[in-house]
Amino acid sequence: MSGMAFLGLLVVFTIFVLVAQRVVLRLWRRMREQGAGALAIRLHRPRDIRWGAALLPVTIGFLVLAGTYGITNVDGTGSGNLFSAKSIPGDLFYTLLVLAAVTLYTLVQPRRAGYLAAAGLAGIGAWVLFQALVFPHYAYDYEWYGWLRDQLYFPELVLVAAACLTGGFFLTRRTIVADVRARRSGLTAQVERLARTRADAVDSAAAELRRLERDLHDGAQARLVALGINLRTAEKLIEVSPTAAAALVADCRNTATLALSELRDLVRGIYPPVLADRGLGDAIRALALDCPVLTLTDIQLPGRPPAPVESAVYFAVAEALSNAAKHAEAKTILIRATHERGMLRVQIDDDGVGGADPASGTGLAGMEQRLGAFDGILAVSSPAGGPTIVVIEVPCALSSLKTSTS
Amino acid sequence: MRVVLAEDLYLLRSGLERLLEAHGFNVIAAVDNAADLLTALVDEKPDVAIVDVRLPPTFTDEGLRAAIEGRRQVPGLPVLVLSQYVEQLYARELLADQAGAVGYLLKDRVFNDDQFTDAIRAVAGGGTVMDPEVIAKLMTRRQRDEPVTRLSAREREVLDLMAEGRSNSAIAQRLFISEKAVGKHSTSIFAKLNLAPSEDDNRRVLAVLAYLNQ
Repeated sequence: MSGMAFLGLLVVFTIFVLVAQRVVLRLWRRMREQGAGALAIRLHRPRDIRWGAALLPVTIGFLVLAGTYGITNVDGTGSGNLFSAKSIPGDLFYTLLVLAAVTLYTLVQPRRAGYLAAAGLAGIGAWVLFQALVFPHYAYDYEWYGWLRDQLYFPELVLVAAACLTGGFFLTRRTIVADVRARRSGLTAQVERLARTRADAVDSAAAELRRLERDLHDGAQARLVALGINLRTAEKLIEVSPTAAAALVADCRNTATLALSELRDLVRGIYPPVLADRGLGDAIRALALDCPVLTLTDIQLPGRPPAPVESAVYFAVAEALSNAAKHAEAKTILIRATHERGMLRVQIDDDGVGGADPASGTGLAGMEQRLGAFDGILAVSSPAGGPTIVVIEVPCALSSLKTSTS
Repeated sequence: MRVVLAEDLYLLRSGLERLLEAHGFNVIAAVDNAADLLTALVDEKPDVAIVDVRLPPTFTDEGLRAAIEGRRQVPGLPVLVLSQYVEQLYARELLADQAGAVGYLLKDRVFNDDQFTDAIRAVAGGGTVMDPEVIAKLMTRRQRDEPVTRLSAREREVLDLMAEGRSNSAIAQRLFISEKAVGKHSTSIFAKLNLAPSEDDNRRVLAVLAYLNQ
């Protein structure tokens, strides 16, 4: 085997190893995320494959060119170039090896293959043009320009070069430029959506704070003031009229109970304690238990989503449940919660009368806004006559649960 | 009566300690975290433990977990759980072992010291005490069910109080009726709900709670 053939084999082998490594790594990562489902063959979109497939003819073109021009001609006879093994079967073997590698790469990475095809076509065009412009006069003097140079005249060479360059330009527009544009417009859309949802989130947070301030001011705070006044009065009365003082103190105790109960409701509305204690799964179970309608749960959450997501999803579920109980006259509700492929999904089905319109009520729309801040969605299907299905989806990662479960 | 007290806030802990000692209880340990609580429960085996749900180090439901773990190691250990809020989920977990001698009350109930100490004694005596708020939530769930709708208004009141863990005499006192009338009502309730009648107060409470918790 010649040194050049050995080098060729080495190059092809290296490409193979790199591609195989990428495939195995990617499969392993997907299996860790999705389990056995990752083994299912994922087909790329035909559009991606189409441009990627151009890599095959471009490679063949390159091989022909390499053989013809003797890019790495060493002995002047045309038999020692990069892809030659001094025999026709050897040539064929390495050529087939290269084509197999290219095909594999195209199937695994069709978009990248498209980029390569565009660059390769343009490169071939440039090379042919260079040959045609730089060495026209020596066309018949030097053997190593090869068969193609012997057959073609200058205008034909320029034509071939122009065709290749046009093809390369066209492919570049369809692959690299199209991808960059799509990416840019995707980013623009995402920026717009983020700006909108952030404004929504800030607005609703501000409204929430105003409501809290008002509730505290009119509720617990006012009761504590009354408590202070009554205690002071009782203090004065204690000598003069112990019975009146005792009645006043009993009154104070009632006021304290009321203040506590108001604070409790308020806290529940800000961040439900059971959510803080146990996480989303048990908090949904607690909601199901508190719901006046029989509510079944099937919750498969191996960990806890980030706290803000947890709370947004919790309140959305609470809203959906209260709608089902209040308006839908449902008899049974089923809540299912899963986390798959980086997506938290909660589905609430009820067997009520349906006809819920998220646009008309502020409740679900508000929840949708709140979920939007985390790129989450809330979808409602509620035909008249039922059933109603509410789906909440939020992309997020789960952190592992505390180990101290008893 | 030997009491172990677990509460992380100093003001509440000392307040409860003073209140309990004023009512003749002997507080043998007052701890402020879950690990100490579990040690005290297992080593001291008190007549009753009064436990705050939320304790260090995580400030979530450490107290509840420690109480349940303590009851696993010392079966039937009387535990009264106090909390700023009540959850049916936690009530279920406490009742799950069907051993009785558990209580679950809002902290506000401490304001009424007589009822509070009655509850402590009931739990220490093997009884079950549930906060009225837990029972109210259970009842809203069940009120549409057919057997419950057959109960008269008075029977509903008796059922509520029974589920909270009150004895016949306490129910009679509360509703201003005779103990005999309470007995008659409870027989009728058990018949309407298809529950096996029982003379034992504790077993009756557990049967009612199990029924409501279905």
